[in-house]
Amino acid sequence: MSWIPAALLVLLAALVQVTWAPGLSVYGAFPNLVLVIVTVITWTRGQRAGLIWACAGGLLLDLTAPGPLGPHALALLAGAYVTGFWVRNVDPSAPVHPVIATAVSTAIYSVVLVGADDLLNLPVPPPALVLDLAVAAAVYNSVLVLPALAVAKRLRREAAS
Amino acid sequence: MLLLAMVSQQPWAAGARSYAKGVIAPLEQAMTAVSDRVGSVTAVLGDNAALRADNQRLEEQNAELQRQIAELQAAGQDNVALRAALDFQRAYGRAMVAAQVVGRGPDGFSLTVEIDRGTSDGVRAGMVVASGAGLVGRVLEAAPHAAIVQTLADPQSRVSGYLAKSSLEGTVVGGPGNLVMQINPRFGVAPATGDWVLTSGVGGGYPRGLVIGKVAAVSYNAASTVDHATLAWVNDPATLTVVLVITDFTGS
Repeated sequence: MSWIPAALLVLLAALVQVTWAPGLSVYGAFPNLVLVIVTVITWTRGQRAGLIWACAGGLLLDLTAPGPLGPHALALLAGAYVTGFWVRNVDPSAPVHPVIATAVSTAIYSVVLVGADDLLNLPVPPPALVLDLAVAAAVYNSVLVLPALAVAKRLRREAAS
Repeated sequence: MLLLAMVSQQPWAAGARSYAKGVIAPLEQAMTAVSDRVGSVTAVLGDNAALRADNQRLEEQNAELQRQIAELQAAGQDNVALRAALDFQRAYGRAMVAAQVVGRGPDGFSLTVEIDRGTSDGVRAGMVVASGAGLVGRVLEAAPHAAIVQTLADPQSRVSGYLAKSSLEGTVVGGPGNLVMQINPRFGVAPATGDWVLTSGVGGGYPRGLVIGKVAAVSYNAASTVDHATLAWVNDPATLTVVLVITDFTGS
């Protein structure tokens, strides 16, 4: 994936995440489309590409959130790192692995995001609420990653042929 | 990234940070417009368009009537003459700026909305935001042409409120589900479901008399020093489209 389509994809994901996605809220959580896209990029293009787009996507999210720039980028970087570590050590063609990797990545993203806010002396939600939201978001993102991955693989095949 | 966060958090970097955040607001506005258009196109496929319009109109009327009921209930508790004098300022006498909601917070940890008005329109951090139905929240950050509003549903949100019928006071705490009010108990007076909750003005964060919501359920705990009431908020951050920023009141 060249950098222009990837940039447009990450920008689109960030915009959809802050405009349409909150309308799909379940138990207070809604899909983190940037995290899903970053997971797909990491899974198909490797950890380096994933980390680059995690940084870009995270900064875009930081621009739409209250507080300083950086916490979302840091959280997405941690998530992409875990996904990259996962894809290097498992059979990437097995569908269960991206699902588990996305769930773990979402959990780490949530912990790092709240931890960074706490470190920066910003207000953070109570731990029980963080746990509830993180679990709900992990389930939500895990459901979305397989169709996203299938589309990405198909686009890659068509581009290659 | 942590270093960037620490640097951009500094007061001297607030201007640059606001400008950077203002850059993405037009894109969010465009995406919201596309969303509205897509929604209306798909609705035309059936009779949904007319039904949705009717539903929205009825909901707006309902919200307006509910607000009037709440204000009438509160009026019964106040001195009539004093209220007549205060009404001018606290309800309609305030300067307001209408703003469109162009975006929402990127995750469930901070339930915020982004509006298309900023410092160039007189919007400042700390200003109170309301809708036709009642209180929405408070401006957290303002860029030249955009601002981020912390809604009452944000887990970090705290508002001092009182019950319109019983006059019991307490603190309304945000959350992703319903709002929860921690009510300071008073001997012989019990909170009741269906009672309206309005801002009390205590603490100076919000003006007195703005409708917050309705008591949906009350729970008592002998071990607790406060009673807890679950509130049905009059606004839903996921469906808010237009809000009003009160520009002549800045919360402390």
